[in-house]
Amino acid sequence: MSLEHVVGLGIVLFAIGAAGFFVRSNALVLLLCVELMLNAVNLILAGFSRYLHGTDGQVFVFMIMTVAAAEAAVGLAILVALCRLLGTLDMSRINILKG
Amino acid sequence: MLSESIWILPALPALGALANGLLGARWSEKGIAAVAIGSVGLALAAALALLAEMLAGPADRAFSVTLWRWLSDGALRIETGFVLDRLAMVMVMVILFVGFLIHLYSAGYMKGDTGYRRFFVCLNLFVFFMLVLVLADNLVVTFVGWEGVGLCSYLLIGFWHEKTSACDAGRKAFVVNRIGDYGFLLGTLLAAVTFGTVNYGDLARLLATGPAVSEGTVAAVALLLFMGAMGKSAQFPLHVWLPDAMEGPTPVSALIHAATMVNAGVYLMCRMAPLLERAPAVLPVIAAVGLVTALYASLSALGQRDIKRVLAYSTVSQIGYMFVALGCGLWAAGMFHLLTHGIFKGLLFLAAGAVIHALDGEQDLSRMGGLLKDLPAVSVTFIAGLMALAGIFPLSGFVSKDAILWGGFERYGLFFWLAAFGGALVTALYSAKLLSAFLGARRSGGRPHRPGPVITAPLAVLAVFALLAGIPGLPLFTADTFFSRFLGMPGAAPATAASHTLEVALTVLQTLAVLAALAGAIRLFTRARRPADPAVLASGFGIDLLNDRLFVRPLKACARLCAAVIDPRLIDGAVNGLGSLSMALGRLAAGLQTGELRHYAVSLMAGAFALLVLTVFFAGGL
Repeated sequence: MSLEHVVGLGIVLFAIGAAGFFVRSNALVLLLCVELMLNAVNLILAGFSRYLHGTDGQVFVFMIMTVAAAEAAVGLAILVALCRLLGTLDMSRINILKG
Repeated sequence: MLSESIWILPALPALGALANGLLGARWSEKGIAAVAIGSVGLALAAALALLAEMLAGPADRAFSVTLWRWLSDGALRIETGFVLDRLAMVMVMVILFVGFLIHLYSAGYMKGDTGYRRFFVCLNLFVFFMLVLVLADNLVVTFVGWEGVGLCSYLLIGFWHEKTSACDAGRKAFVVNRIGDYGFLLGTLLAAVTFGTVNYGDLARLLATGPAVSEGTVAAVALLLFMGAMGKSAQFPLHVWLPDAMEGPTPVSALIHAATMVNAGVYLMCRMAPLLERAPAVLPVIAAVGLVTALYASLSALGQRDIKRVLAYSTVSQIGYMFVALGCGLWAAGMFHLLTHGIFKGLLFLAAGAVIHALDGEQDLSRMGGLLKDLPAVSVTFIAGLMALAGIFPLSGFVSKDAILWGGFERYGLFFWLAAFGGALVTALYSAKLLSAFLGARRSGGRPHRPGPVITAPLAVLAVFALLAGIPGLPLFTADTFFSRFLGMPGAAPATAASHTLEVALTVLQTLAVLAALAGAIRLFTRARRPADPAVLASGFGIDLLNDRLFVRPLKACARLCAAVIDPRLIDGAVNGLGSLSMALGRLAAGLQTGELRHYAVSLMAGAFALLVLTVFFAGGL
């Protein structure tokens, strides 16, 4: 398993996440897509860490996992509140905040 | 010990003002008057004790006290300090003695006025500031008093503020004084910059022994301070406020606009005598301004119908004579005329006030006549003051004015003397005009009611002093009078034996001429058909009109221009323009906020991509 495989898989995962973020409109799915992109980055970081025989990348992976967990908690709470308030999670219909 | 705490002199009237101002709302008129008169009376008693102590000591005995350091800025230190030397003592005596009598008189004169308490608060406050002015040991503290008396003057001229003319007169006095004060401030600053001190004692020492300062600078300081003196002492052309200031109650005219405040300029010049002596080029300027004022104002006085306006112009003219004395370097003669004038002009104003009261507010001279029979006490005192004013031998005005006229002759020659003498003759003429109110037949209906003893007692005291105040100016025809010895300043030009005869001859000539003018004018003015007042004299040679055309109207036009064009178009335009500009920019930027999550995601991604590209291109690749 070479670096190319790992990075290739990471790029593919990231592209799936990004594309999903653009095309889907359900807020829960969008949150999943964000997680997917974060994990793609994690994968690439871990791959490089191993390739370079360093530990910096792994440290970053843990940082990102922590932040992602916090983000998921806050994000899900917001989604629950949003759902209660507006009765929907369709982001194409939620566009109140505009200039 | 009293000599250690001369601050008590200004503190007492200040306390009186505070007590009446803060607590007096429910006090009766008697209580208010008692506090006001008592505070000034106590200060007078303290001043008399100090005078006795001063006379017992050596000639240069002076009391001084430094209360606190006001500000210190390295080189320049300004302390709140008072000094009571003999020069200041003369002023303190005039202020407190005349001031006390006028307070007493006011208690009767202002009876029943709705602003009784306000009047006495202002009057006490005025005495406080006036004492600060004369006791200050440096220019800056003097300036505090200077502005304070200006404020009180403004408040008291506009005392009857329901009258538009009184408010206008108060404002006029304030604004015209501002012009002079501008000179005072600049002079103080220049003195501070040049000498590094504003203390009178230090200034005198520096001028006598310190490093040489160019004569031009000294002259500039002297001229600037003289400008301040011109404003406060109503010298031509800054005299215009004083005749209008007669809108105030008569005791105010007597105290502020005859006996004390308007003399502050004379006092300031005497204070700065060491400076003026080092700037001989300034003295002729002072003498010239004084002479022009004396002539101009005495002629204007001749044309007035209002008894108070005659006296006001007369005051301007007499202060002009004081400046003539100063311009001759005769400090003591100037101060002596200040002293005698303070007494007899205070008396004249108070007596005029009594006459106006007795005639129910009538101020027009042409409607007064035969008052001697109706108001004997007031009339006799008024006539005593008039005789002193006209300079009848041997009253106080004669002694003090004679020294000034002779000084002018000695220093500036025959033509100067002739002009000053002409002014003295005109003084006799308008004195006769005032006198005509008391002689002849009654000219208006209604019987005048006689004033009570509260009003006549101060008049009697002042009349006695007006007759006797010439004594310190004796012996005649010498430089070494009692007064100049007391003051330690030259009282008259030193006379040689030859000029001595000339001086006596001139004095006799003056006296005879004045008597003749007085007698002739009395006959003229007591005739049934009086000569009409020439319009040019009545309007004071149209100086007010000139000022109106030259300064007031252009300024008003300028103000209208600002209000109509510059303010709405330029100032508002700039401010409103900035506002609408940011509004427009905001609307433009607001279009970016669509509220669509997708758009934000795209721009986020595009931004990240753009940053990546930039890094690759400009940072030299990954």
